[in-house]
Amino acid sequence: MDALNKLPLNIAAAIRGLFGDPHSIWADLTMTVIGIVLVIVLIVLAALILILLERKIGGWASQRPGPNRLGPRGWFQTIADALKLLGKEDVTPAEADRFIFKIAPMIVFALPMMTLAVIPFGMGMVPIDLDLGIMYYLAISAISTLALLMAGWGSNSNYSMLGGMRAVAQMISYEIPLIFSLLGVVMITQTFSLSKIVEAQSTIPFVVIQPIAFVIYFIAGIAEVNRAPFDLVEADQEIVAGPFTEYTGLRWGLFFLGEYGNMTAVAALITTMFLGGWQGPGFLPGIVWFFLKVGIIIFLMMWIRWTFPRMRIDHLMGLAWKVLLPLSLLNILLTGLGIYIYQYVLRIGG
Amino acid sequence: MTLERTEELALNLGPQHPSMHGVFRMVAHFDGEIITKIDPKIGYLHRGLEKLAESRTYAQFIPYTDRLDYLAAPHNNMAYVQAVEKLANIQIPERAEYLRVIFAELARIASHLVFIGSLALDMAGWTAWGYCFRDRERILDLFEMTAGSRLTVNAMRIGGFSQEVPDEFWPALKSFLDDLPEMLEEYQGIFYGNEIAMGRMKSVGILTKEDAANFSTTGPVLRASGVKHDLRKDAPYGIYDRFEFDVPVLYGCDSYDRGLIRLLEIKESAKIIRQAMRDIPEGPIMAKVPKVLKPPVGEVYHAVENPKGELGFYLVSDGSTKPARLRIRSATFINIQLLPAISPGWKIQDVIAIFATLDAVLGEVDK
Amino acid sequence: MFGKGLFKGLHISLKRMLGPNVTEYYPEQKPNLPPRVRSSMGLDPDKCISCGICANTCPNKVITLTSEKGDNNKKVLKTYQMDVGRCLFCGLCTEACPTSALTVTQQYENAVYDADELQWDMIKRHRHQTGKEG
Repeated sequence: MDALNKLPLNIAAAIRGLFGDPHSIWADLTMTVIGIVLVIVLIVLAALILILLERKIGGWASQRPGPNRLGPRGWFQTIADALKLLGKEDVTPAEADRFIFKIAPMIVFALPMMTLAVIPFGMGMVPIDLDLGIMYYLAISAISTLALLMAGWGSNSNYSMLGGMRAVAQMISYEIPLIFSLLGVVMITQTFSLSKIVEAQSTIPFVVIQPIAFVIYFIAGIAEVNRAPFDLVEADQEIVAGPFTEYTGLRWGLFFLGEYGNMTAVAALITTMFLGGWQGPGFLPGIVWFFLKVGIIIFLMMWIRWTFPRMRIDHLMGLAWKVLLPLSLLNILLTGLGIYIYQYVLRIGG
Repeated sequence: MTLERTEELALNLGPQHPSMHGVFRMVAHFDGEIITKIDPKIGYLHRGLEKLAESRTYAQFIPYTDRLDYLAAPHNNMAYVQAVEKLANIQIPERAEYLRVIFAELARIASHLVFIGSLALDMAGWTAWGYCFRDRERILDLFEMTAGSRLTVNAMRIGGFSQEVPDEFWPALKSFLDDLPEMLEEYQGIFYGNEIAMGRMKSVGILTKEDAANFSTTGPVLRASGVKHDLRKDAPYGIYDRFEFDVPVLYGCDSYDRGLIRLLEIKESAKIIRQAMRDIPEGPIMAKVPKVLKPPVGEVYHAVENPKGELGFYLVSDGSTKPARLRIRSATFINIQLLPAISPGWKIQDVIAIFATLDAVLGEVDK
Repeated sequence: MFGKGLFKGLHISLKRMLGPNVTEYYPEQKPNLPPRVRSSMGLDPDKCISCGICANTCPNKVITLTSEKGDNNKKVLKTYQMDVGRCLFCGLCTEACPTSALTVTQQYENAVYDADELQWDMIKRHRHQTGKEG
C-alpha cells in the first residue's frame, strides 16, 4: 500500500530524472506544466461526472431514474450534451459589450483551475505548493464575483443585470464569514500552507475541533458557488438564468464547467481544511481518501439542492450578516481562548 | 455634491418564462429588487369559447368546457351541464349525482396537487413538485379508466354521467384515499414544514379581508383571507347538501396560508369522497334526455365551487338547439386582478410566490 | 426548533432517493391503457350504415363521409375522412354511433411529420390495420 501511495511521487521523480539536474529550472517548469494539465483534466472530468450525477440524484430524489438513454444507464449523457454544445451557434447579442461578454466565461472557467492548483491531493502531490495557500485560494475564488458581474453587465439584458447585481451582493456578504471561519484552523496550525494544514490533521481532523467553523464554511461555500438554496444568481423562476441568460453554445458550457469546477474546489478546500485531506486509514491510498471525502461533500451539496426551496434575498443577507458572521467571530474568540488555555495548561504542567 | 439618481427597471416576465403558469405575461417594474408596479397582460390563450358556444349545440359544448380550467375538467363539465339541466329542467338519476361529486372532488384534489407542486417549483423545490405529480397521476388514472381521458375528461353529459365506472375503479379509489394522508404528510415534510419555504411565504403578499371581498375574489384565496365562503355550503348545488365536511378558513391573509389552505381542502375533499362512496346507490346513470335538446326560452346562471373559486355559467336560450349567449364567470380571471394590487412593495421573488398562490390557470383566465 | 423542517425534508428526499422509481421506461415499456381510452378512432366500414350521426354530433366538424345507394336502396359507405388535426378526442362521435362501427382505440402514437397526414382516411386505415391491403 505504501508503494501505491508513493507511486505518483515516484513517477514525478522519474520524470525529473530525465533532466540532467533534477532540480533545474526546466525540470521544475515541466512538473508545473504537468500539474496544471492534470488539474484541467480533473476539472473537465469532474464537470462531466458531476453534471450527470446531479441529474441522477435529482431524478432519484423525485423517484425517476434520471438520464437513462445513452450508454450504460445513461452515463454517457453529459458527453453527448457537451458535444451538442460544441455544435451550437455562438450568439453575441447586438447590444452587448462584446469584450466583456466574451471574456467573462473564460474567467469563470480559469478560476477553479487556479484554485485547485494549490490543493494537496495526496502526500506530496500539490501541483503548486504555496506558503500562503489559503490566502491565495480565497483571493482567487473571490474573483468569480467579478466574472459573474461582467457576464451580467456585458450581456446588456435586464435578467442578466439583476443576476449580476445579486451575485455581487450575495458573494461579498458570504466572503466574510467564509474567510473568518477558516481563521480558526489557521490559528491552531499557525500556517497558511494547505499541505502543512493537512499534515497537522494526521491524528484528528479539524472538523472535530472546529465544528462551528465547518458548518459555517459549508453554508458559506454553497452560497459562494451559487448553489441551491442560495442560487439567487441564476434563479430561473425569477430571472431566467441570471448572467447566463444570453450565452449560447460553448460559452454557456464554459460557465457550466466553471460552476462544477468551483463546486469541486470548494469541496476540496473543505476536505483539506476540516476533513484531513488525503489522510485516512492506511488501507486506501491517500488520493482515494481525498476524492472520497470530496465526493461525500459534493453529495451533501446535491442532496441539499434537490430538497430545499430557494431562499429569499433578504433572508440570505440576514443569514450571512446576522447569523454566520457573529458565529464565525465567536468561533475565533473560542479558538483563541482554547489555544490560550491549552498553552497555559502546558506551561503549568511543563 | 452630485445628485444620486436611481432608475426603475422594467422586466418582462412571460409569456415564455420559466415560472409562468401557462402563457401569462407580466411587466414588472422594479426599484432594486422591490416591485413598484405590475402590469399583467392576458389573452395569449384566448380561444373565444363564449362565441364558439353560440355555434355548437348544448351537448357539443361539453368537451370545450374541459379546456377552461384544464386541471379540474370535471368541475367545468359539472358547472355547464348543471346549468343546462337547470335551463331545460332535467332531473338526473341519483347515481349520476354521486358520480359527479366523486369526480368533482377528485378533480379538486388533482388541481390542488398541481397547485402545491407548482408553488414549490416556483421556489425551486423541484423534488416536492415531483411528488405532487406522482400522486396526481393516480387520480388521472382513475379518470382514464372511467371516462377515457386523463386531462380533458369530458365525463359528464346533460342528464347524467357519460359511462358507468369500471369494476377496478372502486378498489383503486379506495387505495388512493388510504394513501392520501401519507402523501399529505410528505408534502408537509418536504415543503410546507421547511423553514426556507415558510420564510418565503409567511407574512408575504398580504391580502386583507376587505380587499379580498372588494375584488370579488372567490375560492381558497378568499378563504385564506378569513372569509368563510364556499358555494358548496352557501349555495349547495347538486347533492352537496348531503355531505358533512368543513370549510377550512385561515386568517393569515399571506402567501403561506393561501398555500396551506389547499392542503386542508384536500383532506375535506377526501372526506366527501368517502361519504359518497358509502352512500352511492345502484341504478341508471343517464336520465331520459331528448336527442335534440331545445331548452325553453329563458336564461339561467349556475355557479359551482371550482378548485380555484366560483365558476359560473350564464346561459341564454332562445328556444333553439344552440345557446343564444354563454358567459363564463371564471374565478382565476378575477383572482389574477389581485396581482397588481397586492404585489407592489414586495420583492420579485415574493411576487413569483404570490402569483403561484393565486393559482391561475390560463385556460380559464383567457377563455 | 428552527431547522427541524430542514432535516425532515432531507430525510424524506434521502428515503425517496434510495427507494424505487415510479416512472415507466417508455418506449421500451409501453403503457397498458384501459380499453376506454380515447387515443384515436377506428372505423369498421362493414358495420357502418352511413347514417351521418357521427358527423352531426361532432362539435368541430372533423368527420366528413359520403355514401352511395347500393342494393335494395341501402346506403353504402364510400369515403370516410377524419380531419384529426381539429379533433378534440371527446369521443362524442363514438357514443353517438348506433351500430358501434366507430370506436375508440388505444393507438396513441399519432405524431406525423406533415400536416396533410392528419387527414385520416378511415376506411384505408381499417384495411391497413386488419391486414387487408388494397
